[in-house]
Amino acid sequence: MNCKQEVIALMHKYLDDDLTQPEEKKLRFHLQSCSDCQAHFHELKRTISLVKSSSPISAPGDFTANVMSNLPQQKKRNHYMR
Amino acid sequence: MENVIKQKIKQIKKGDQAAFEDVVSFYQNKVYQICFRMIGNAHEAEDLAQEAFIRAYTNIDRFDERRKFSTWLYRIATNLTIDRIRKKKPDYFLDAEVKGTEGLNMYSQLAADQALPEEEVESLELQTYIHKEILALPPKYRSVIVLRFLDELSLQEIAEVLEIPVGTVKTRIHRGRETLRKKLRHV
Repeated sequence: MNCKQEVIALMHKYLDDDLTQPEEKKLRFHLQSCSDCQAHFHELKRTISLVKSSSPISAPGDFTANVMSNLPQQKKRNHYMR
Repeated sequence: MENVIKQKIKQIKKGDQAAFEDVVSFYQNKVYQICFRMIGNAHEAEDLAQEAFIRAYTNIDRFDERRKFSTWLYRIATNLTIDRIRKKKPDYFLDAEVKGTEGLNMYSQLAADQALPEEEVESLELQTYIHKEILALPPKYRSVIVLRFLDELSLQEIAEVLEIPVGTVKTRIHRGRETLRKKLRHV
């Protein structure tokens, strides 16, 4: 059980692009012989693919104009600064 | 592009509003997406994103030009959105209904425009479901998941936006990922 926690931590490091080479070997070695962890790893990778598959969202077409029209009144600024 | 933004900031600090319009235009989609993916409501996302830019503008003199403007701007947007999320907690179930309505509105809108192939309808349902599960995450996990996988910020950038250590960002991403894995494993 503790072994599994450790392997799962390696999975997350892999997904963070953070694994050292010995850690990567350790993860790969364990995955070869443990189908539960294989399934867990597959699910994690698929989860991230699903999240990333969401389409980008664009701001409404009049967004910039609305922001500009809501800006506080322009105050005179001192152009001579030390 | 970073140098262009730096130049615009200098102009804004001198009172040039037109320079700020360029900045808004450049960052509007990114800021709007952060707000929308975290709040789940298009109208509120628009309000929050607008407010973020106005606050950036009114506080521009406090922006340290040695730092990255986008990090500062995203921090304002993220903090405003998290504050809004926390304030509206008591209305969660009403919002759930509203979200359902929004989903229906989406389909109605699409039906009005054109009939979609079956695969695209399924894809839309899937995206809606995924977004719902992201919105069900506690705000501290939701924010890192949105910034990392939807806005594609680096771990370091997220740490700066949220003003937390990189290690904390990683821990929250790991927990967010595990929660989503359990929710999305069967779709």
